[in-house]
Amino acid sequence: MNSVLALSIFGVDWIFFKPYIVLGLALGSVYALSGVGLVVLYRATGVLNLAFGAVGAAGALIAYWLINHTGTPHWIAYVICVLFGGVLNLIYGVLLGPAFARRDPLVKMMGTLGLALILLGVMAWRAPIGGAFARFLPLPSSNHIYRIFGTVMNLTEIITLCFAIGLTLVITIFLRVTKLGTAMRALADDREISATLGVPVRRVEASAWFGSGLVCGAAGLVLPDLLTSLDYSALTFLVISALAAALIGRLHSLWGTLLGGIAIGIAQAVFAPYESITRYRTAAPFVLAIVALLFFSRKRVVTISGTAR
Amino acid sequence: MSFRRVLMALLPVAAIVTVAVATGAGAAPTYIVGQARPGAAVSKCGMGTGKKATGAPIKIDGLDMLIPGVDFTTIGKVAAAYFKCVNDNGGINGRPIKYKLYEEALNPAQEAALARKMIQSDHAIGIVGNTSFAECGTNWKYYKSQGYIVIGAGVQAECYSTPSFAETNMGPRYSNLGAAQALIGAGVKKIAIASPDTISAYADSAVAAYGPSKGVQVKVFPTHLPVTDANTIVQQLYQFAGSGGGIILDFTPDTAPALMKAAEQQGIVDDVKWGSSTPIANTLMASQFSPAFDGHLWINSEFSLVSPTVGPDSRLMFAILKKYAPSIAPQSFGQMGFMDADFATQALMSITGAITAKSYNAAVKALHDVKTDMLCKPWYVGNLPYHIANNTDITVDYKSGDVVVKQPCFEITGATDAPIRQTRVWEKKYHLNG
Repeated sequence: MNSVLALSIFGVDWIFFKPYIVLGLALGSVYALSGVGLVVLYRATGVLNLAFGAVGAAGALIAYWLINHTGTPHWIAYVICVLFGGVLNLIYGVLLGPAFARRDPLVKMMGTLGLALILLGVMAWRAPIGGAFARFLPLPSSNHIYRIFGTVMNLTEIITLCFAIGLTLVITIFLRVTKLGTAMRALADDREISATLGVPVRRVEASAWFGSGLVCGAAGLVLPDLLTSLDYSALTFLVISALAAALIGRLHSLWGTLLGGIAIGIAQAVFAPYESITRYRTAAPFVLAIVALLFFSRKRVVTISGTAR
Repeated sequence: MSFRRVLMALLPVAAIVTVAVATGAGAAPTYIVGQARPGAAVSKCGMGTGKKATGAPIKIDGLDMLIPGVDFTTIGKVAAAYFKCVNDNGGINGRPIKYKLYEEALNPAQEAALARKMIQSDHAIGIVGNTSFAECGTNWKYYKSQGYIVIGAGVQAECYSTPSFAETNMGPRYSNLGAAQALIGAGVKKIAIASPDTISAYADSAVAAYGPSKGVQVKVFPTHLPVTDANTIVQQLYQFAGSGGGIILDFTPDTAPALMKAAEQQGIVDDVKWGSSTPIANTLMASQFSPAFDGHLWINSEFSLVSPTVGPDSRLMFAILKKYAPSIAPQSFGQMGFMDADFATQALMSITGAITAKSYNAAVKALHDVKTDMLCKPWYVGNLPYHIANNTDITVDYKSGDVVVKQPCFEITGATDAPIRQTRVWEKKYHLNG
């Protein structure tokens, strides 16, 4: 029956790929969410936060510890996970942000790499992986399973997708309509002139760090459930996929980042059944980012300076 | 110094303290031991005198692999704990065993260098507790040239096809085969099998050959570690196996839980029969996946149940873990480490003259009919071109947070595997195991 009803477009059996598309949508939503957080911070401060994943992973481990070792109610642990991301990012941004403010973007980025490495080291020291022991941070919403268009989806996946789209919409409106959002856009255009015009630069940057950190925490909360494992090193390096999504959005467009993240998630998932390329799926973020960058710069004129000989 | 500079200096400290305190109890939970019946007999460590050995140390080394997604160092650590027990009970005629465990990261150059270090620099008389995806292939010729036989737990082909290794386990190839035998016996017509891609060609080929001989379709899914996308992997396996089919997972407890959780999330646990190789046959895993997987598992267990009620050796293992390695949960890796060290100790104790590399490795080769409650049949080494001493095992399942026997001791089939058939010929010919 399935093969009779299969919607065959370009010879592809979409019935076969449906479960992978659903899985890819869920994971891609987290990449998109993380990418949006990265872009908002970059636009306001010029910093590409490589510690995004590590902050989320640390928050997830804290939530795990609270639930499993102190009996803290789940929802309080979840709130603490999200707030931890915001607070840690805020502390970094307030204390170290001004010191890096006048440095070039590469130096600013390396500063966040330092934070990522510190967090990785602490997590490896205090919560090593290995042995007959695995950590999980399942969310109660994952117990609710639905069949949508013949494919299984759980409530966490649905919420993640809706949250990614909703957050992108809210932030877009926020940046356009609110005073703080306008100030962030001004900072993104020119920090010096914005400061001259009376924009409270430090306060705006702190808000961007905190807001981005909250998104870190949210991504850190959802990812262990989607990946079915609380592996802090895997969570930390998922910033790479988020970065690729941000690059597809040219570090500027939130909707471009959203679509890029979802495309990366779906690409990684649908390549899985192909034996010849399945082990190269992890390269999907880089490939898509390169293709997008080449596409967007296709009409640019390349100028080579210097005297022609 | 300005206030801001002080704060900047304190930031990393504050971050470290916060995360350290909060994540600290992310360490493995303490395993509570206390199931042995009062007055039950417990095996002794070595000479069992209760007195510390203080003589010249006997050097034994080991080498285990540690990579993301797979941690074999548990085996060596349990062997180390066993040797500590031996040293606290008189050692070997008063001489303590000095055990040193090296780690390697699946790097052949590192494996070769460490083998030479153990023998030529450390002057270890024996090598015990080795487990790796690749070390057998890297070092078997070197060990043979030096006259060493490694007592360890194997994975790859060279561990079971060369004279340099005598493994206490049967390895993933035969463990997967045992799981396939159990699943086919349970009526599956299709089997999807997944193993780490570095060992898949060897570990899964026995199942790939046996299945068709029984009219069962088999598809192999080599899996790259570490697994970062368990859901798509499980979906692939399920799409091949189909409803009522069989899925064999051949992963350690570092990786298997993510796949099993993915199966739960996708609501397919009840729809297929789940086979597995040995590593997930322990109560810690059962407590995490019961009752969802109760009745749905056919885990091939190369050893007895991990329980102190099984017998004196098992009781001793629990006691050793409690005293010398409390952070290690009882599991099949612990059984491997225990037996590696136990059999090495028995070889040492059988030496009548000077304890040298030559006399120790000769004693290892002479081991036969070594009984333990952890194995279905007595273990042996013998003067053989290869060793597959552990070739009979049980099938287990989860039930109410515990591991229960589903099928008692049965022989791994030699129908499509020539080495197993030949091994059984030698066992009878040389009276190797009773």
